[in-house]
Amino acid sequence: MDVADREALAVLLSVDGLGPLTLGRLIERHGSPAAILEAAAGESGAAALLESSRAVAGEWRTMPRLVAQGIAEAAGNRASLLEAVTRSGLRVVARGDAEYPHRLLTIEIPPPALFVRGSLAALAAEHVIAVVGTRRPSILGRRIASRIAAALCRAGATVVSGLAVGIDGAAHAACVTEGVPTVAFIGGGHARLFPRAHDRLAEAIVEGGGAVVSEYAPTVRPTKGTFPQRNRLISGASDAVVVVEAGARSGALVTASWALEQGRDCFIVPGSIDSPTSAGCNGFLRDWPGLAKVVSGVPQLLDDLGLLGEAGLPGATGPELRSTVRFPSAAAVLSGRDAAQVAVAEALVHGAVIVDELVAVTRLSVGAVLGALTRLEAAGLARPIHGRYEPMGPLAAVDPKAA
Amino acid sequence: MLATLLSATLVALDGRVIRVEVDVAPGLPGFTIVGLGDASIREARERVRGALRNSGFLHPARRITVNLAPADVPKTGSAADLAIAIGILIGSEQFTARAGRAALIGEVSLGGEIRPVPGLLPMVAALARRGVRRVIVPAEGLHEARLVEGLEVVPAARLADAVDVLRSRRRAAPAAPARMELAPASSVSSARPGPALAPPLAPPDLAEVRGQAEARRALEVALAGGHGLLLVGPPGTGKTMLARTIPTLLPPLSDEDSLSATIIASVSGEGPIRDLVRTPPFRTPHHTSSYAAIVGGGPRLLPGEVTRADNGVLFLDELTEFSRDVLEALRQPLEDGRVSIVRAAGAVTLPARFQLVAATNPCPCGHAGEEDRCRCAVGVPERYVGRISGPLRDRIDVWVTLARVPGAAMVSGVEPEASAAVGARIAAARARQLARPGRRLNARVSGRALRSIAQLAPDTAQRLADLADAEGLSGRGTERLLRVARTVADLAASEAVEAEHLEEAARWRPSLRQPVLALAV
Repeated sequence: MDVADREALAVLLSVDGLGPLTLGRLIERHGSPAAILEAAAGESGAAALLESSRAVAGEWRTMPRLVAQGIAEAAGNRASLLEAVTRSGLRVVARGDAEYPHRLLTIEIPPPALFVRGSLAALAAEHVIAVVGTRRPSILGRRIASRIAAALCRAGATVVSGLAVGIDGAAHAACVTEGVPTVAFIGGGHARLFPRAHDRLAEAIVEGGGAVVSEYAPTVRPTKGTFPQRNRLISGASDAVVVVEAGARSGALVTASWALEQGRDCFIVPGSIDSPTSAGCNGFLRDWPGLAKVVSGVPQLLDDLGLLGEAGLPGATGPELRSTVRFPSAAAVLSGRDAAQVAVAEALVHGAVIVDELVAVTRLSVGAVLGALTRLEAAGLARPIHGRYEPMGPLAAVDPKAA
Repeated sequence: MLATLLSATLVALDGRVIRVEVDVAPGLPGFTIVGLGDASIREARERVRGALRNSGFLHPARRITVNLAPADVPKTGSAADLAIAIGILIGSEQFTARAGRAALIGEVSLGGEIRPVPGLLPMVAALARRGVRRVIVPAEGLHEARLVEGLEVVPAARLADAVDVLRSRRRAAPAAPARMELAPASSVSSARPGPALAPPLAPPDLAEVRGQAEARRALEVALAGGHGLLLVGPPGTGKTMLARTIPTLLPPLSDEDSLSATIIASVSGEGPIRDLVRTPPFRTPHHTSSYAAIVGGGPRLLPGEVTRADNGVLFLDELTEFSRDVLEALRQPLEDGRVSIVRAAGAVTLPARFQLVAATNPCPCGHAGEEDRCRCAVGVPERYVGRISGPLRDRIDVWVTLARVPGAAMVSGVEPEASAAVGARIAAARARQLARPGRRLNARVSGRALRSIAQLAPDTAQRLADLADAEGLSGRGTERLLRVARTVADLAASEAVEAEHLEEAARWRPSLRQPVLALAV
C-alpha cells in the first residue's frame, strides 16, 4: 500500500459513522482508498459516493447520506485531519502491511487500518495472551492479574489488554515492570486517551517496546459503543483470553464472548460465589460449560496455554516448575531492604491490607510500619489505595505460597 | 431633669463605654432614643416602659429623650436597658441616687427582671479600664463580671434591687443569688429541662475507638503540631468518632489564651460563665452553615465559628458539602490566624487561630475503595475530593485515608490506647515546641524558623530530596513534609529530625492523585 492510500485511509477513518464494512465495500468498488477520496472531492462528490455504494442483494444497508457528506467534507479537510495523526506521533498500519497483526486477519471484520503508537512487533510473538477484567477489582484480583501477567512475560508470551483502570492496568503494569513489551488496544482515539490517569502507563508501554493501538482516528471520542467493538480486537489479536475478575455485567465478559466466537481459548479465574467482583466470571463458566476453561493456578494456566513446552507440568507444583517459569521469590525481590521493610512486605504479600493488620502481624510500632511503607512505596513495591495497601511491581508478582 | 449614667456596648469583641443621658422634660408625652442605636435599642422603649410599670414605678407622661454618647459609635444590643430605666427614674425624680455613681449593664424584661446580656466580660473590662469603681450587673452574670479585677461588681436580679443599691449603698450581694433562684425565667429553665435539648454528649475516649491505627496516629501527630487534618473514609469507619475525641486529647489553655477564649465565649452568649474557660474550644458547625455563621459578621458583628474556635479546633464534618464561599473564606484565617470583616463603616479583625480538622467521604456514595459497594463511575471519587480547592488543600498538612477495619481486627487486636496516654504525649510534644524561640506550634512556625529548628544531617537532607522528587512535591509540599516531620520528631522527643520521622510524615500527603510512581491503577 502506498503513502497516498495510507493517508487516504487515515482521513476516511476519521469520518463519523463510516465503519469497516461500508469502507470495505467502497474500497472494493473504487479500487483504493485514494480513489474514494478523489471521487468524493468533486462538485457532487457526496451524491456520486452514495450512488456507488448502493447495497446489492445480501449486503449490509446502503451508506447513509450523512456519512457520504462526511466523506466529502473529510476530503476537503484532508490536510488538517492528517496533521492530527502526525501530531499525535501515530503511524497508520493498514491491512495488507507486513506489520499488521496476522491474528487480526482471521476475525470477522478486521479493521481496515490501525493507528499505532509504538511497535507492533510483540504481536507477532509465538504466544499472545489477553488478560482482561473489571475496572473495579478487589485487591486480590489486581494481584492475581499482576501475577498472571508477570508469569506470562517470563514464559515468553506477549500480554494484550485494554489499558483500562483495574485489571487491565495491573496486567500492563506488571509487563512494564518485567521489562517485556505489551500491547494495549484502546476504545477511542489516541488524542482522547481514556482514562487520563493512564497517560503515564501508556507512555511506559510505548517506551518499553510495546504499543498503544486504536482502530479509531485520533479525535474519535470513546463512547459506550466503541469499547465493546474494541474488545473484539483484544481477543482477536490473541491466542487466548484470560478473564481475571468480572462483575455481573462487566465488559470483560464481552471480550470473553468474542474470544469464543473467534475460536480463541477462553480462561476464566473463578471466584467465591459471594464475591460480586467474580459474579460475571462464575456465571460465564456456568453458561459455557466445556468452552470456557477454569484457571486453577498460575503454573497450571501456563501449561494449559502450552507455554511450558514439551515437558509440561512436572508433577504438581514442584521446584522444577519454578525454575522453568522463574517465579520471583519474596527474598529475591526484597534483597538489600531493611528488616522493617521485609516484615511489612511479607505481610502485604500474605494479604494484610490495612495498617492495623500490618502492625498486628509485624509487631512493629505504627510509626515504624508507616515509615517502612514509605520506603517500599518509593521503591515501587507497595502503594496505598483508599486507605489500604497492596504490593506492586515485582512484589505483586510474588506467589504467596512460594514467599 | 437630666440624668447621666454610664453603661457599655459591644463592638465585635471589645467593650465600649457609653454615656446614657436621659432628659425628662415637660411637653407632649413621648419617648425618643437617639445615638446610632440598632433595632434592639429602639425596642428598649417598650421593655423599659413595661419594666417600670410592673416594678411599681411610674412611666412619666412627659417628653423623654435618651441620648447614647458618643454619638458616632454604633450601639447594639440590650445592655443599656437598665441604664435607660434608671435614668428615667432619676430624671422624673422618683428616687435620688447617692453619690458615688455606678455603671449599669443589663437587659430588662417587661416584668422588671434584669436579664443577662452577651459580652458582659469585655464590657465590664472596658468600664474598669475607664476607672469606673462600681458596676451593677444582672445577677446571673455575677461570676462572669467578677473575673474582672479592679472594680466592685454588684448583682441585681430586679429593677427594684438596682434602685435599692443606688439609693442606699447597701451591699445587696448576699441576697442576690437567692432572688435569682426565685426569678421566673430561671426557675422554668432549671425545673424542667426541655425534651428537645439533651445535654451535650461527653466526648468519647480514644480507647473507645477500635482499630484505625493509621488514623489514630495521624490525629496524634496533627494535634501535637497544630496541623490541619483531613480524614477521608467511608461512612462508619470512625472519622467523626475520632474527631469527637479531640477535646480529651488537648492540653488546657494557657492563662493568656483562656482569657481570650472566655471573652469570645461571653460575646457569643454561651450562657452564664462561672470561671475562665480552660478547655480549648471544639466547634463543629454543620455543613449547611451560612457564610456569616462561619466567618462572623451580621448586623451585630458577632464572632463566627472560626473565631469561636480560636485556640482550639474547628471540625468540619462532610467538608466537601460546605459551600464553596465558606471554604474559600477559611483561607485567610488559616494563613494569618485572624479574620477581617470589612464594612463600609470600617473593618474589624477578629482572632481565628484555629486548627482545622475535617472529614469527608471519599466519593458521593461514600464507598470508594470498597469494591463491591461503590456505585460511583470510575474517576468520580478523585473529582469528589478534588472539590477541595488547591489553596485550602495546601493548608491541610496531614491527610489520612481510613479503610473499613475487618471485624477480626476490631474484636481481637491490641487494646486501644486511652486518651490520657495519647494526650500526655501530645502535651509533651507541644511543650517542646513552645519552649523554642518564637513559642509557636510547628504548624504556625514561619518557613525560615522551620529550617532552623528542623536542621537535617546531610544524608537525611538527601532523603528529604528523594522523597520530594518521588512524590513530585512543590516547594510548599516539601516544607509541609518537613513541618510534619518536625512534629513526629517532637513526639519522639528527638532533637534532630531523622529519616524515619520524614518517612512517617511522608504518609500524610494529599491522597488526591494516585502516587506518581504507581503505574498500575
